[in-house]
Amino acid sequence: MNFLELKTVSKSYRNHFWSRAVPALQDLSFVVPQKGITGFVGPNGAGKTTSIKILLGLLTPTAGSAYIRGVPSHLPEARRNVAYVSEQPYFYHHLTARESLTFAYRLNRYPPDKLTAEIDRVLQTVQLTAIGDKKIHTLSKGMQQRLNMAHALLGNPSIYILDEPMSGLDPLGRRLFRDLFLDLAAKDKCLFFSTHIIEDIERLCKYVIALDKGAMVYAGSLDELLARNTAGAEIHVDAIPENIIGRLHERGYTVTTVDPDNRIIHVPTDKEAQVCQKLLYEHNIFPKTISRRTASLESILYKSAEVRRP
Amino acid sequence: MKSIALIALNTFRETIRNKILYNILLFAGIIIVLSTSFGEWSVFARVQVMQDFGLATMSVSGLLLAVFIGVAMLGKEVTSKTVYMMAAKPVMRGSIIIGKYAGLCITLCLNFLLMSLFFFGALLFIGSTVNLKLVAAVLLTMVEMGVIVSVALLFSTITNPTLSAIFTIGFYIAGHFNDLVGIETLEGSKRLLKPVLQVLYYLLPNLEHFNIRTPVVYDLPLTGDYILFAVLYGLLYITLFMSISCALFARKDL
Repeated sequence: MNFLELKTVSKSYRNHFWSRAVPALQDLSFVVPQKGITGFVGPNGAGKTTSIKILLGLLTPTAGSAYIRGVPSHLPEARRNVAYVSEQPYFYHHLTARESLTFAYRLNRYPPDKLTAEIDRVLQTVQLTAIGDKKIHTLSKGMQQRLNMAHALLGNPSIYILDEPMSGLDPLGRRLFRDLFLDLAAKDKCLFFSTHIIEDIERLCKYVIALDKGAMVYAGSLDELLARNTAGAEIHVDAIPENIIGRLHERGYTVTTVDPDNRIIHVPTDKEAQVCQKLLYEHNIFPKTISRRTASLESILYKSAEVRRP
Repeated sequence: MKSIALIALNTFRETIRNKILYNILLFAGIIIVLSTSFGEWSVFARVQVMQDFGLATMSVSGLLLAVFIGVAMLGKEVTSKTVYMMAAKPVMRGSIIIGKYAGLCITLCLNFLLMSLFFFGALLFIGSTVNLKLVAAVLLTMVEMGVIVSVALLFSTITNPTLSAIFTIGFYIAGHFNDLVGIETLEGSKRLLKPVLQVLYYLLPNLEHFNIRTPVVYDLPLTGDYILFAVLYGLLYITLFMSISCALFARKDL
């Protein structure tokens, strides 16, 4: 059974009753079958938040359906043991942090006898124990985002839907969240992590679902995606005579000079790397290192998005 | 059921921390105090003027409460997205609406209790008495406000807070003039307007059924059956409006 699933989902919005419907998602289908962190990536306006809101039953799709653990997402049962962290924290500002957590804990129908211990645990996890009795409106944005994460941790749910959870955090907060996500993944939780920050995806995720303009660009393992998009090899050598550099240029290789005794030859494919090595051996030049050059995730996704653009 | 109780409690907490509530209470208190002196300038008896003013003040302050707190309660939650605190959890959308309504009704009851104590106290202060008819009048005003709050919530599910407030006030006014709409329809003076008036007459509740100020003030006969009918009439409309609100909110994009 899949943790999360969208089946041919389309969603259109109307700004006004009389205005034309603007499509946000077009026949989007994907599944999150595995535990661990699945990155949900795409530029701003790609449809990430819309997809997440449909998964949580907050939006009704124009067509198609969404499921959490096989349960249609518009049913309350689908959201049992599911945590949601929104990009911006949405709290009742008249409550204190503890009151807000108590309200959320009870709405989730977790065991009442563990309430106090659980609130203490989550506040400690996000390093907010000291502000538990403060009114939410007195907290900084970063603190509110940590409190948002504390809400998600309540009751130790098995699925975490995270919509740009690190926005508004300082570097320390970001590190705290990253460690927290890795810790949850290590505990066999399913994290669906939406972001447009590629670095976070590269650091945290094993799987990636990439969107652009409301349609899917890629879904699968991050390693596979990177392996599929290797960009040739880099051959590090000592000094090379100028005539050899000329021959390398003739074959279409580029040579970067770090210093006269340290040069890097860039070749476009693995096969060309072998040809280049042979040429160098013929002139008694022996490479120091040969490394495969992998395209950055950003360039791969950008390229995929560019292909789709009219 | 537990979710409804939790949401109702949270709504009640939110409303009693709202400054508007105290401003409305203060406004009602000032009017009731002033009404003790109005009787001296009037051709009617001082007690009658005070009773009339007191009950009218309760009705108007109930309306203000329904508009400023009731409308804002759901509309603001949707626009500010705080509704995600509940809607993203294993809670039925209908529970959110019913919980909000229940919380508002608790606030409304507390508000009426305080106003009644003040009003009855003022009557006793000028040497009058508090009879069952007066208590029944307050009860029916509360039921009327229950209807108004349910309508305010209904409008909040389909439009923005400003329009909801305007529609709710419009509904209150139209509901009180429903008798006149009926007379106009029967006389059929305007052919084009007749079908519109007919629809309005049958669709809108007649809020004048909850207004028993005249029999209370002039001590006219009033039966228990009438009170019971009016309460049931109000409950019927509340059930209708709440059912529509729940159905609409269940499909609403948040």
